[in-house]
Amino acid sequence: MTNIEHDEAAIVIIGSGAGGGTLAYELTAKGLPVVVLEAGPYLRNEDYVNDEWEAFNQMAWLDPRTTSGSWRIARDFPNLPTWIVKAVGGTTTHWSGATPRFKAHEFAARSTYGRIDGANLLDWPITLAELAPYYDKAEVAMGSTHVHGRKPLPANNNYKVFANGAKRLGYKFYSTGPYATNAEEYDGRPASVQDGFNFQGDKNKSKWSTLVREIPRAEATGLLDLRPESHAVQITHDASGRADAVLYLDKDGNLQRQAAGLVAVAANSIETPRLLLQSASPMFPEGLANSSGQVGRNYMRHTTGSVYARFNDPVRMHRGETMAGVIADESKHDPDRGFAGGYYLETISLGPAFLASFGDPGAWGRGFTEILEAYANTAGLWVVGEDLPQESNRVTLNTTVSDKNGLPVPNVNFDDHVNDIAMRDHGYAQAELLYETVGSVGAQRTPPYPSTHNMGTSRMSARPEDGVVDSWGRAHDVPNLFTSDGSVFTTSAAANPTLTIVALAIRQAEYIADQLKTGGI
Amino acid sequence: MAFPAKYPQMNATELTDEARSVLIRVIRVAFPHPSFPDGPYERTADTILREAENSTWFRVALTQGLLTLSNLAGGDFRDLNDEDGTKVLRRIETTEFFGFIRRTTVLNLYDNEDVWEILGYEGPSFDKGGYINRGFNDLDWLPEARIESYDGPEQLVEIATPVSVARVRGGENASAVARDTSNQPGKRDAIMSEMTK
Repeated sequence: MTNIEHDEAAIVIIGSGAGGGTLAYELTAKGLPVVVLEAGPYLRNEDYVNDEWEAFNQMAWLDPRTTSGSWRIARDFPNLPTWIVKAVGGTTTHWSGATPRFKAHEFAARSTYGRIDGANLLDWPITLAELAPYYDKAEVAMGSTHVHGRKPLPANNNYKVFANGAKRLGYKFYSTGPYATNAEEYDGRPASVQDGFNFQGDKNKSKWSTLVREIPRAEATGLLDLRPESHAVQITHDASGRADAVLYLDKDGNLQRQAAGLVAVAANSIETPRLLLQSASPMFPEGLANSSGQVGRNYMRHTTGSVYARFNDPVRMHRGETMAGVIADESKHDPDRGFAGGYYLETISLGPAFLASFGDPGAWGRGFTEILEAYANTAGLWVVGEDLPQESNRVTLNTTVSDKNGLPVPNVNFDDHVNDIAMRDHGYAQAELLYETVGSVGAQRTPPYPSTHNMGTSRMSARPEDGVVDSWGRAHDVPNLFTSDGSVFTTSAAANPTLTIVALAIRQAEYIADQLKTGGI
Repeated sequence: MAFPAKYPQMNATELTDEARSVLIRVIRVAFPHPSFPDGPYERTADTILREAENSTWFRVALTQGLLTLSNLAGGDFRDLNDEDGTKVLRRIETTEFFGFIRRTTVLNLYDNEDVWEILGYEGPSFDKGGYINRGFNDLDWLPEARIESYDGPEQLVEIATPVSVARVRGGENASAVARDTSNQPGKRDAIMSEMTK
């Protein structure tokens, strides 16, 4: 690993997950040295534990946050708005792996859906056709099943219930993927052993993450200076308004300054706007790159919900790849259903510890224990669909609460849009129908978990007044500042976001390398 | 058992064996699992008592709650049957006392091997080679399911017809409608207003 001097104006990437880790690898592969500041520790696959709470406490981003708004999270888990990872590799180290692409019309949500009261819809400044070649590259990098010759994963027990129900309900577009976990050896990593632990990190390295692919390959170039346990505090700028350094706290809590010629923020959709807001200055009084006022706004978390259905016979949903089951039939835009946008149904399972905590938060008594009593005979699925951007769904700095470093914590305000509620209810109902066709004897509607999909708080826009970054993720206001994570999403689409984050990062790396070569930055 | 004292230094309120056994009964009534032996409930009660030692607020709430539960129960709470015990707990479910017990129980009762086996969960699996050869696909009461992508004659219709606005920006209908922006919406054919169910 290389060592870049603190006073050398480096390319500084903040975050090492899907966006930052991919960008770091792509840039170093092009011969460009980079510094990666990662807030979390350098956990390795062998450090992971097959235990829900122990793994959660090892991996999750647990820095204090506050919440407000009418979402249930603010009542049930007021200090845990998200369930993401703080470690090298970021949230790719605990994601489940589903990799559907966005659809063409989802890049043009405003034009397709029309005006919707309360929503701050906008078309993306890029199209599916422009991103398609990068989707190909991302799928090859991640080893997505069902595409580019990768074998599908076999059916596990949870999938058998899910797919038979789908078939009997009349759905057609179901399969065990696309899913970025090896069904057979690929890219130097082994096939899945179906150990059932995904949200706890994959000890077997079968699942793609930047920890197993991009980070080690970037290290192998000799051009990566990876600094774990380095928490970015502020991006500073010079008199011309160009970013010139990143201030960060090292593992001992000492404030360090890394000079920067280019800064790419990929800290996930809560910390990215937090950092931009913490970087306010007399020249950028509302926060860095925030002349539009859109930094922190349009926070999206996907419209989600789970259904856990009980059967008379054993399912044992905990055995096997958690989310290797995807139904796309409802991912269409069909306003006849009573909402705009679409959703996927995907298999999911939790162990008893997490099912108890998240299955029906706040509940107790016979109705609650029935959910756990039926554990072995339970099948589960997740509804995941497009949620609408709203200006008031917003990350702000809560200056009355400080973290251990004395920094203001982010507050996440969120209200469901009526469209989100209509979609979730439709998804719950379809899921229950699906399970009824294969003999369910009861079902539990589980509300959204702390958000795993976080998007929109630094959105792309064609015009500087509508968003924070342009179609390359380059800040409208600061020429050498980029955003490289899901916060650039103009709208959320229905698909799980990771594939699109990776595709955008690969595309952004090409742009950055080209611009650096031609003096465009 | 002493009531919480006026001064913090005297707040080492003692929770007696009797209080512990009331607590165990509260947990079993609130989280009834006929298949669970006493062990998991006792373990959970001891966790709650341990956590109460670390928090003055929980300690005083717990002590006071366990002391006065019998008043509401009209006698010893432990003498109530499941149904009557549940009624008493429903009355106090919004109290800090019960909330503390509920939260701590949810987090701890189910996070232990002693209940996993009863519930049919198998715990850590990587060290045993995962489930690839240990039944990840042993469900036999349903037919085998297709795992490949659908390759039949139908296409997924991404935008249901009729939708009269532009299907995709740059698509076949795009030029028929004046382009607008988020700040200056133009006249569109398909304006969705707030929906009510």
